[in-house]
Amino acid sequence: MNLTSKPLAVIVLVLMFGGISFSSVMGWWQTETTKEPATFTEGEFAGMANPADIRGSYTFGDITNSFGIDSQILAQAFGIVTEDPATFAVKELETIYLDSGFEVGTASVRLFVAYYNGLPFDTTGQEIYLPRSATDILFTRNNLSREQIAYLEMFTVNLSEASAPVVEEPATEVHAETEAYVIKGKTIFGELITWGVSQETIEGIIGAPMPDPAMKIKDYATANGLDFETIKPALQAEVDKVIP
Amino acid sequence: MVTLLNKRIRLFRPHTIWIRRVVQWFFFLLIAAIAINHTLAESGAAIPFLANASLHAVCPFGGVETLYTFALSGLMVQKIHDSALVLAGIVLLLSVLFGPVFCGWVCPLGTVQEWVGKLGKKFFKRRYNHFVPKKLDAFLRYARYGILVWVLYVTAASGTLVFESYDPYFALFNFWSTEVAPSALAILGTTLLLSVFVERPWCKYACPYGAVLGITNLFRVFSIKRAESTCKADGACSIMCPMNIEVDTKTVVRDHQCISCLECTSEAICPVAKTVLFTSGGVK
Ligand code: SF4
Ligand code: SF4
Repeated sequence: MNLTSKPLAVIVLVLMFGGISFSSVMGWWQTETTKEPATFTEGEFAGMANPADIRGSYTFGDITNSFGIDSQILAQAFGIVTEDPATFAVKELETIYLDSGFEVGTASVRLFVAYYNGLPFDTTGQEIYLPRSATDILFTRNNLSREQIAYLEMFTVNLSEASAPVVEEPATEVHAETEAYVIKGKTIFGELITWGVSQETIEGIIGAPMPDPAMKIKDYATANGLDFETIKPALQAEVDKVIP
Repeated sequence: MVTLLNKRIRLFRPHTIWIRRVVQWFFFLLIAAIAINHTLAESGAAIPFLANASLHAVCPFGGVETLYTFALSGLMVQKIHDSALVLAGIVLLLSVLFGPVFCGWVCPLGTVQEWVGKLGKKFFKRRYNHFVPKKLDAFLRYARYGILVWVLYVTAASGTLVFESYDPYFALFNFWSTEVAPSALAILGTTLLLSVFVERPWCKYACPYGAVLGITNLFRVFSIKRAESTCKADGACSIMCPMNIEVDTKTVVRDHQCISCLECTSEAICPVAKTVLFTSGGVK
């Protein structure tokens, strides 16, 4: 069969626009991302909204709708001071944190939402920064695995002021100073693990199975009738052994 | 039509496929209108009835870029929407049937390069589109596959549209916005400048989407075929081909660079009727 230019032109136009019309009828023609993220397709979380699909165009309010996290919490986590946090668009974070030298943006929100809700999130090969305010909230959730705590410790940036994010050195670099390896009242068990103290050593000192890594050592001591001032030097001695 | 030395020769040939120019203009204006409307929409002044889609939503290459991520997780690469996948499907179907008609008839970047090329034709006449030494040219024609592999790799690895910072198509329809990376503008500028000397330099040497579609030339249903029995061997078809394909030495064009523009056919430059045909059958 031979074809000349005019029928070809008609075919091109018909296939292009016919295909678009057909796909609209089928509901496939989406030129904008809906504010409903894609869901996990398999595994124990199948059917639940997937934080990896959060877009820069989402507002904190959209995230509340899909993930049930209050926009106030999101605002607090990312140091956003605004009357109506529900209308704050995630993509604005990048501009706000521009001068900090660290990329705090959509990926950070994805990570926060995933960890907050205990959902799987692949961080392999990625450097996703969270402000300290966000990590602190995550630690209070007591639902993080050891790897997740270690990841957060590596990529947490300390803000001097929540309302005007000025990002200081990342936690990893702070760790380079010996001062950072001192056990204090707010030190959590997870930090000991990240510093290199083994679970068995910790269990040997507290004389019980390893508590939740997100728990503060001091709180654990108080709750279990131990003297923080006694176990602290013992643990510190172990920390000093593994820190070069 | 007159018969000369037993061959039916047309005295008044159109020389060019005019309807292709009409279709090219149509898609250029459509995409330009969509791009302008998208900018207007951001300030709340969108033109009614015109889709408020981003440029990424109407670019089929986005569908190719997101394919790996989509297959793996059901998610789209950042900024890409489902419509891009739909377009990629339609263009693939068109290409399997007719070769890269998208390039020859639809893609506004191809069109703009052709327009600039008209200047080159005016300046350089027959020397136009013949500046690059043959050996170098033949080698460079495969560079777009290298670029394709790189684009697919970085997109899959990062989940973001890395190519946007280098994409002259994005720069062409967004040069007024701050979203465009200077690198993309520089590549667009270089492409347009080179278009004065070489026809469609971006398509020939760099376009990753052209590389994908070009593969369909190897097995497309309708191809350019030349009937040796009636051919006058004047080489007109080869001279006219924007992609420098030597149509006059082939019976079937299977070159990965053909863009199905039909300019070599007997409907345009070939002076002998039914000699260079766009056909799904055979010719003698
Ligand atoms: S090769 Fe690329 S730039 Fe050229 S027409 Fe095809 S898609 Fe467009
Ligand atoms: S071979 Fe013919 S159809 Fe293909 S690009 Fe060249 S002129 Fe166009």
